[in-house]
Amino acid sequence: MPDSATPGFDGLEHIVVLMMENRSFDHMLGSLGLDNPNINGINNATDSPDTTGAVVQPQPLAEFQGQLNPDPDHHFPAVDLQIFGGNTDPNRTANMQGFIKSYFNQQRDVAHSQKIVYYFSKDNLPVLTTLASEFALFQCWFASIPGPTICNRAFAHYGTSFGRVDMNPVYISEPFRSIYSRLINASPKHTSKLYYYDVPSSTMEIVNILQNQPELFGTFEQFLNDCANGQLPDYSFIEPNFGDHESDGGAQAANDQHPDHNVQAGEFFIAQIYMAIKRNPSLWTSTALLIVYDEHGGIYDHVVPPSCIADQFTATANDTGTNFDFHFDRLGVRVPAVLVSPWIPQGAIVNRTFDHASIPATVTKFFLGDFSPRSPRETTANVFIEPKGPQANLNNNLLSLAAIRTNCPEFDV
Amino acid sequence: MAIIHVPRPPMSAFNPNREASALLRTQVEHMHIAERRLPERYRTKIYVNAIQTEGEVAAYIGQVTTAIAQAHQDAARKRAKLTARPGSMLKIAAKSDSRPRSKSKSSAVGNNSAAARSKGKSKSK
Repeated sequence: MPDSATPGFDGLEHIVVLMMENRSFDHMLGSLGLDNPNINGINNATDSPDTTGAVVQPQPLAEFQGQLNPDPDHHFPAVDLQIFGGNTDPNRTANMQGFIKSYFNQQRDVAHSQKIVYYFSKDNLPVLTTLASEFALFQCWFASIPGPTICNRAFAHYGTSFGRVDMNPVYISEPFRSIYSRLINASPKHTSKLYYYDVPSSTMEIVNILQNQPELFGTFEQFLNDCANGQLPDYSFIEPNFGDHESDGGAQAANDQHPDHNVQAGEFFIAQIYMAIKRNPSLWTSTALLIVYDEHGGIYDHVVPPSCIADQFTATANDTGTNFDFHFDRLGVRVPAVLVSPWIPQGAIVNRTFDHASIPATVTKFFLGDFSPRSPRETTANVFIEPKGPQANLNNNLLSLAAIRTNCPEFDV
Repeated sequence: MAIIHVPRPPMSAFNPNREASALLRTQVEHMHIAERRLPERYRTKIYVNAIQTEGEVAAYIGQVTTAIAQAHQDAARKRAKLTARPGSMLKIAAKSDSRPRSKSKSSAVGNNSAAARSKGKSKSK
């Protein structure tokens, strides 16, 4: 039997997804474009008008904490302004010129509003930028809808938000199971877990999964133990710490990077997860880790979100808070997304379009193959790991190296 | 490759008295919906409208998350107890078989053939 040409892909057993909070691609990874013209980052960014008409350039002046206060508005109407620059004409074109105007609306401070186009220099984010440079950088990963957290995270769990564009509970109205239920109820059964940071931080998916299937959850401490003991499930979803709180283990600073939480705390968290997998050689060779952000948090990005296949739901003009219905046929703003595996060539850049529906799409196809019912958005989403078998498009396989890399980075966490 | 240093956030980054964001307030709302579905003995005594800080959010969310898990564990324990008593269930079934049948005409005719059919079926136990 000949050796496999893609041993990393053939030997893949675990998929881990970490979903962070509220930062845009240009804000976190746009600086990489200044060194690498193949990356569509700040090198291609456009200037934005402020409310006085002055033109403002993006600058590497983003701060770890205390700058984006108040929290930039990222609800549907505000994101509409950010993308379309305030144009409400039915035949309007997106121009990504409304970020400063949107932030100005919150505090009426011209100087402060300009900070929404600030970005991090590469050196200030050593973990995320290193992983983006060393592994696979997705430069066309978008939020699933141009709106806030809860409905975007729903796409990662269900492949749809069941018609929601706001922060109200997502109630399941169609027989679209969560990715976790699909896996644990499959035959043969697969294993799956949502790891929240700790009990006081808990999960953002409460009304359906926590309330009905609390056994699906574990803590971050358990994740670390599961990595060390080789007991990681087939599919893991990790949620960061959403708020500062005291615990038996001491002060727990929020590490989700949601404004105005300290961005360095999130860098440390990402590094912990990466090193937990890497320290177990068996896990390291058989795991793919996706680091992605739920939405842009109202922060600047220059890439116009593309249209997509419509979901089967409609949000009315009343639901959206704009003059328009929304048919879930347009993606949200671009977010950072990186896929980590020692089988990925250094510096890989992925130009295909993804959104969070790609997560259940990928995990389902990889572990279960054909599965229905699933939402239209999920069934048409690109996958970031090819399925096994004849359906695989090996041209898109990111775990393509014939030999495992021995030069992967390490962090002092 | 050299090990990359990851700077730790300063202690000043930690502030449990920070005003809760809209996201955390939403999380509290959703937890409250879940809490209202719990039997009263599992519910907190916390007035959610009074929650203002990240620390207060964490205290409430921690209690409700624990309560939900506890309610499910208690239900699972009760379920296990019910299914762990097969002997008593069979006795009840045996009792019902020995009760005298009614003497109505229709039941007498139907039962003879039904009884003959069910005899054959019950042997499979």
